[in-house]
Amino acid sequence: MSGLGPLTVRELKKWVRNPVFLITGLLQPFFWIALFGSAFDLTKFLPGASSFVLGGAPNYITYITGGVLTITGLFTAMFAGTQIIFDRRLGPMGRFLSSPIRRSSIVFSKILSSVIRIMPQVVILIVAALLIPNGLKFPHGFTVIDALVLITAITLISFIFSSIFSVIAIRMENMNSIFGIVNLVNLPLLFVSYAMFAPGMMASWLSNIAEYNPVSWSAEAIRMVIINGVLTASQWVQVERWLGGLTVIAAVVLALTAVLSEREIRD
Amino acid sequence: MKDIIIETKNLTKIYNGKIKAVSDLNIEIKEGEIYGLAGPNGAGKTTTINMLITRISPTSGTATVGGFDIVKDSLNVRKIMGVVPQDFTADEDLTGRENMMMVSQFYNVPKARAVENCSNLLKMVGLEEAADRYVKTYSGGMRKRLELVIGLVHEPKILFLDEPTLGLDVQTRTQMWDYVKEIQEKLNVTIILTSHYLEEIDELASRVSIIDHGKILITGTPAELKGSLKGDIITLTLSDQKGVEIMKSIPNVIEVSDSGQNTVRIKVANADESLPQVINYISQHELSTIKLTVQKPTLDEVFLEYTGRDIRAEEGGTDARKMAMNLRRVRR
Repeated sequence: MSGLGPLTVRELKKWVRNPVFLITGLLQPFFWIALFGSAFDLTKFLPGASSFVLGGAPNYITYITGGVLTITGLFTAMFAGTQIIFDRRLGPMGRFLSSPIRRSSIVFSKILSSVIRIMPQVVILIVAALLIPNGLKFPHGFTVIDALVLITAITLISFIFSSIFSVIAIRMENMNSIFGIVNLVNLPLLFVSYAMFAPGMMASWLSNIAEYNPVSWSAEAIRMVIINGVLTASQWVQVERWLGGLTVIAAVVLALTAVLSEREIRD
Repeated sequence: MKDIIIETKNLTKIYNGKIKAVSDLNIEIKEGEIYGLAGPNGAGKTTTINMLITRISPTSGTATVGGFDIVKDSLNVRKIMGVVPQDFTADEDLTGRENMMMVSQFYNVPKARAVENCSNLLKMVGLEEAADRYVKTYSGGMRKRLELVIGLVHEPKILFLDEPTLGLDVQTRTQMWDYVKEIQEKLNVTIILTSHYLEEIDELASRVSIIDHGKILITGTPAELKGSLKGDIITLTLSDQKGVEIMKSIPNVIEVSDSGQNTVRIKVANADESLPQVINYISQHELSTIKLTVQKPTLDEVFLEYTGRDIRAEEGGTDARKMAMNLRRVRR
């Protein structure tokens, strides 16, 4: 009697049926890769040294693809909680709470649907990055294992942030509070990370903080497989460390969400 | 005597440590009846319902629904009951049928059975044509009807109807009454109905409790409650004042009073039984009558008798409104 299935299907139906929501969500990654790829390309000021700064990437788009994928996941995930507030304000929450479903499944349906919604964005973003001039290149190929690393990183990062923002929304009544929090943390999460810039291009204090940002871990793991194709043993150790870190955070967030949503969710 | 399906013992809910919404409520609801909970806004009806449907937990006291404790066994309570809350709960971006199917999945109703239940119920409330339209295109009356059948999709034993006709026009309201009666007859569910429209309770309920300030004032069948007032009124307008004086000495009535303009007001225990006697008395004395009306007490008068206030006046009254608003606020 979990209710997770029907509630997730409901979220996805609402998504597919809202053309503006659907299309903007799918266009967003395209804009990001094209605009960010040009706007933040500082390597044009470093003739000759760009490959060194970019960790072996042939161009900036290839370097930031991992970052933009992560950020797309992050920004979509941060709005997962808004649907909880809508459900409370528009009435469906009352129905859910008087049904014999696990209360946490109300929250997990938002998280799950948000993670699912991110996947087509990932595909579009990679296709867009491949299509634009001087775009994404896989200098050493791209294996099935690389694809799995990419999907795992995106899934974990979107799960973590969907959960955090859903838990925030559990008792919240005002939509504006969520927007406020999103606006407060989105750019810091983006810029205090290795999503857009290589550590060598950042102020050292910023780089020191960015090392502990899960956004960096996801971006770096994806970047590693995109640039290197087949990884060496030492590169694997790094990827495992990043994905391991994300998994630990995801597990903690999962437990927290389960406990808090069972106990705290209100009409 | 039928089995008791819902029982509360000293059920109490205090909000924020000071607002006593329901206090020491003791009710027994029998299987298969339509039980009405009547009272003005803020009387504690919705709080009582919300405790019984396990949406909020009581501050003290206990209650069982279908034999299950509302606190310790809330999951089982939720499985056997259906709810039609005051507010709309359907998702506007889904169709009526999709809403029903989603809710049936919450109760693990097998798919084929759910499909059949949805069709039958939608037909019952005349929504079969609108069933596959988005709920946002529904009128207020249609949405209320949809809420009614969403609450029934898993074949509950008990149905809670919280102000089912609030905000509906008179025509739609009587239509809703017909649906509620049909549901009770065909599906054999126990219905707990709250309303501050007393004529609605009178029309539908087999038993009613009048609740005010979180306390039950009286319980009985609508007929018993009205009968308890012992006061049907026969109003008689005669052609002259002389006739009024003669009527004043009519025997075997509770009270006769002159209400001016050649009119007498005769209070009797039961107008159906007393009317022939009154008519005989009139013809015996060869009085000529211009007008004769019989007025039986309504539940409104019962409410007036037991609370000392008019339920309609309450609606405009600031105290009750404030109380209702406070409750609404703290309930969220």
